[in-house]
Amino acid sequence: MRRIVFLLLVFIGFGMILSAKTTIFDRNCVSCHRRKGVSLRRTFMNALLIYSGEKNMKAGLKYFLRHPSKETSVMGEEYFRTHRLKAPTTLTDSELDAALDTYWQRYKVIGNLR
Amino acid sequence: MLRSERSTLRRFLALYAFLTLALVLLVSVFYYRSEERIMLLRRKAQVADYAADQIKRLRRLHEHFPRERTYPRDPRFRSAIYDLEHVQIFSTMRNNVVDFRRDIYRHDGVIHFVKLLDSYYLGAKYLFIEIPDDRTWFWTTLGKTALGAGVALFFLALAGLYLARLFLSPMRRSIELLDRFIKDTTHELNTPLMTILANVEGLDPSALDARQRKKLERIDLAARTVSTLYDDLKYVTLESERPARDTEFNLKELIEKRILFFETMFRAKNLELHTDLRPVVIHADRRLIARLVDNLLSNAVKYNRRGGSIEITLRPGELSIRDSGRGIPPEALREIFDRYARFDESEGGFGLGLDIVRRIAQRYGLKLSLDSEPGKGTEVRVMWKDVES
Ligand code: HEC
Repeated sequence: MRRIVFLLLVFIGFGMILSAKTTIFDRNCVSCHRRKGVSLRRTFMNALLIYSGEKNMKAGLKYFLRHPSKETSVMGEEYFRTHRLKAPTTLTDSELDAALDTYWQRYKVIGNLR
Repeated sequence: MLRSERSTLRRFLALYAFLTLALVLLVSVFYYRSEERIMLLRRKAQVADYAADQIKRLRRLHEHFPRERTYPRDPRFRSAIYDLEHVQIFSTMRNNVVDFRRDIYRHDGVIHFVKLLDSYYLGAKYLFIEIPDDRTWFWTTLGKTALGAGVALFFLALAGLYLARLFLSPMRRSIELLDRFIKDTTHELNTPLMTILANVEGLDPSALDARQRKKLERIDLAARTVSTLYDDLKYVTLESERPARDTEFNLKELIEKRILFFETMFRAKNLELHTDLRPVVIHADRRLIARLVDNLLSNAVKYNRRGGSIEITLRPGELSIRDSGRGIPPEALREIFDRYARFDESEGGFGLGLDIVRRIAQRYGLKLSLDSEPGKGTEVRVMWKDVES
């Protein structure tokens, strides 16, 4: 009986970790970026350099992900000499907002300096 | 110095003081501000160097974040970074009340220098450099400002006094002239007036026929009217400056004497007199109280109708004189005690009467009340704190 409960708890805990890991951000953004070898940390820091604030960045990236263009990209000319522009996102509005929220939350500088 | 002159002078000085103070304050603030600007500009060059150093370090940190997480610190200054939305990213500053619109400012013991970044390392758009505010600068500047203001105020005050004298001298001269004229005239009036009164009294009415007696009475009446006027003038020009000679006396006796004096006038207007006087002892200057009573009686006669009545009541703490005249319109009641105010232009006089009453009442702390009903009459009450009661 105790073993069953223990197993159940482990199961639930595992499931929670898994479900936490599989946000829309992980499923959509992270997997593709890993595939393409484009560091999300690097894109974040580049974006920060241009957009500065949280709201500004989210709005700017949202627009970019919907309508990518070399002119508005934060990657710089150097990158596009060897790489292609990404395709517009297929996510819905709310999915995109949620993904960007996770992105900011996980990579932000505020609160992570000593 | 006369009352009107004094109030004019006071008004002028108040205006002058206000204007000079405002001017000195304005100049002081201006001076202080410019001194502050100069000091800040001097510090700015130095602090701009600090900012350039800090930006280099921020750039390095941006490139190595998040492997490197330690915000760059410098013993020479404290700093903070804010993003485009004015959200603080990190701060080592002591004072985190920041102003994004100015490039350098003093606040609560520190100086903040604000540098806008071209590329937002770590998302920072604003870099604040904080250095301690040099307190000695503040105190020396404040001292200099205060000293300058004090010296300026001193000279302006001297100039103000000079101006006030200049401004008042023509007025003073004309007032002095008028004053002297009235004093001289008043003085010259005394002897002939007394002569007339003494001689009229000396005549024996029973030795005259009815017509002659009537004429004599008219002369007596006119002489008494001039006599009260003379007393008023004397009070206004001379007596009010003389120290009061207060004694204890019976007010009832004084009032009875004054009634006797006014008798001719009552008779001339055919006034019926009702008196109800109780003995009351007060402590005051007899002559001043006589002026007060005279003026009240004279008004009661002057503004009464022919064949009317006068009621005089004396109680401890209160004297009331009621006439049956046409009364005073309510809108005139307020300024009735002012000098030269005559609420009824049809009557003669200088309008000195109630002003004198007011001044004497003020001198002895008496309360005056005036109730008037147009068409029915006026009651003037003089109230004081009775020592015996
Ligand atoms: C289909 C693959 C793919 C997906 C899905 C994807 N990305 Fe990207 N992303 C890329 C590639 C490739 C680049 C670099 C080329 C470019 O910028 O166009 C890029 C660039 C970026 C950049 C840099 C933006 C810029 O201005 O250049 C950011 C930030 C970014 N991605 C975030 C995200 C986020 C957040 C998501 C999830 C909502 C996401 N990406 C989903 C492939 C993808």
